Amino acid sequence: MAGQPRHMGERRKTDLLLAVGVILGSLIVLNLPPGPQRAMRHFMRETVLSPFIEINGAIARTRERALDFDLLRTQMDSLVAPVAAQRTLAEENRQLRSLLGLKERPSHRVTAVTVIRAGTPGSESTFQLDAGLGGGISPFNAVVTESGLLGQVQEVFSRYSMGYDWSHRDFRVSAMTPDGRAHGLVEAVRGGFREQDRLVLRGTAYLSDLSPGDELVTSGRGGTFPWGIRIGWISGPAEASAGWSRSYYVEPAVHPGAVTHALVHIGSGAGVTVAAEDSVFRPQQVDPP
Amino acid sequence: MRLRLFLLCTTLIVTHLVLHVALELGPVAPDLVVVALLLASRSLGSSGGAVLGFVLGLVEDAFATISFGANVFALTVVGALGARTRDFFVGDSIPFLAVFFTLGKWSRDLLAWTASDPAARLPLGDLALVESPLLGLYAAAAGLVFRVLFIRRRGNR
Repeated sequence: MAGQPRHMGERRKTDLLLAVGVILGSLIVLNLPPGPQRAMRHFMRETVLSPFIEINGAIARTRERALDFDLLRTQMDSLVAPVAAQRTLAEENRQLRSLLGLKERPSHRVTAVTVIRAGTPGSESTFQLDAGLGGGISPFNAVVTESGLLGQVQEVFSRYSMGYDWSHRDFRVSAMTPDGRAHGLVEAVRGGFREQDRLVLRGTAYLSDLSPGDELVTSGRGGTFPWGIRIGWISGPAEASAGWSRSYYVEPAVHPGAVTHALVHIGSGAGVTVAAEDSVFRPQQVDPP
Repeated sequence: MRLRLFLLCTTLIVTHLVLHVALELGPVAPDLVVVALLLASRSLGSSGGAVLGFVLGLVEDAFATISFGANVFALTVVGALGARTRDFFVGDSIPFLAVFFTLGKWSRDLLAWTASDPAARLPLGDLALVESPLLGLYAAAAGLVFRVLFIRRRGNR
C-alpha cells in the first residue's frame, strides 16, 4: 500500500517524459527538409484524407454539371463568331511566317482538371488537381480558368498534383500590358484578412503611366507561364521609387475560392522541366517531345 | 477511454474532416478537432494526448505547404497540456467545458501562429483578440452540443 503513491508518481513522471518527447518530435517535424515534409503530406492525403478528398472532388464535379445550360449555351455562342472569323488567320499567319523565315510559335496543349481545396488551417493558398503525371502535368505548369491565371502546379504525383494560386507568398509572374508598353513582375501582397489579399505589379518603368482598368497579361518571360494569359486589371498606384520605378495594385481576374474547374497548360514546345515522383525539388531538363 | 467518449471523439474528428476537407467550409465550420483532442486528452493522459495531437496535426497539415508542422506542434502541446488539467480541475460541468474548449482553441491558434512562417501569418493582435476568441466560442458551443448529444446521463461521464 505504501508503494502505491510512489508507483503512481513514477507513472506520472514517465507519462510526462513521453509527452515531452512527442513535443520534441513535433518540433523536429516542423524543421524537416522539404522532401520528407512532402512525403508526409502525400501519405496523409493518400490514406486518412483520401475519402474526404474524393467526396470534395465529386461535389465539385456535380456543381460543374449543375451549371445553367442557358449560360453555357450563351458562352458557346459567343465563341462561335470569333472562332469562325479567325479560322483563316492561322493559315495566313503560317504563310507570313514562312515568307519572313520565322519559326512556328510554340503551341500549348491544355488538360482539364477539377480543383479541390481543403478548408484546414494553413492550406489557404493551396489546391489539389485531380490529374497528375498520367495526365501529362509537370511542376511549374500554369493553371488557368476562362477568366485568367489561377496559379501554378508545384508537386506532381501519379494520380494527382498540388499547386498554389496567386495569393501564395511565393507566387510571381512576369506581366505586361497587351500592347507591351509596360512590363513588370506581379506578386501577392497580404491584406489584414485573407479576403483583402491582392496583387501588386512591381518594377514598371517610372515613366509608364498605367490607368485604373488597364489590363495585364502574362509576358511569357522566363518561360514558366505562356504569353497572353490575363492576370487582372490595374486598380490604382501603390508606390513609386524616386525616379526609378512604379508599382500598381492589380485587381485579379480570378478569385481562387470560387474555382472548381481549370485548365493546365502542358508542354510549352520549348524544353520543359519535368520531375519524377520523388524529384520535385531536383528538377531536370529534358528534350521536348 | 470509455466507449462512449471514444465514439464521441471519433464522430467529432470525422465531422471535422467532412466539414473542412470534403465540404471545404474553412472557418465557417467549427474546429471540432481541438474539441475531440481536449476531451480525449483528459482521459488518455499527457503522453496519449500528445500522441493524438501529433497525429491530428499531421492530418491538419496535409495541405499546408508554407508552414508544415505548425499544426502538429500546436495540437501536440494542446493535447499534452489538456491532460494536465485533470490535476487541477475535477469533473466536467458544462461551464468548465465551455471555458476549457475556448481556451484550448485559443491556445492552439496562438501556438500555430508562433510556429508558422512569419510571412504567412495574420497580425498577432487580430488573431489573439478578435478571430481566435470568436472561433474558440464557436468551437466550444459546437463541442458542447455534441457532448450533450452523446453523453447525457451523469453515470456515463
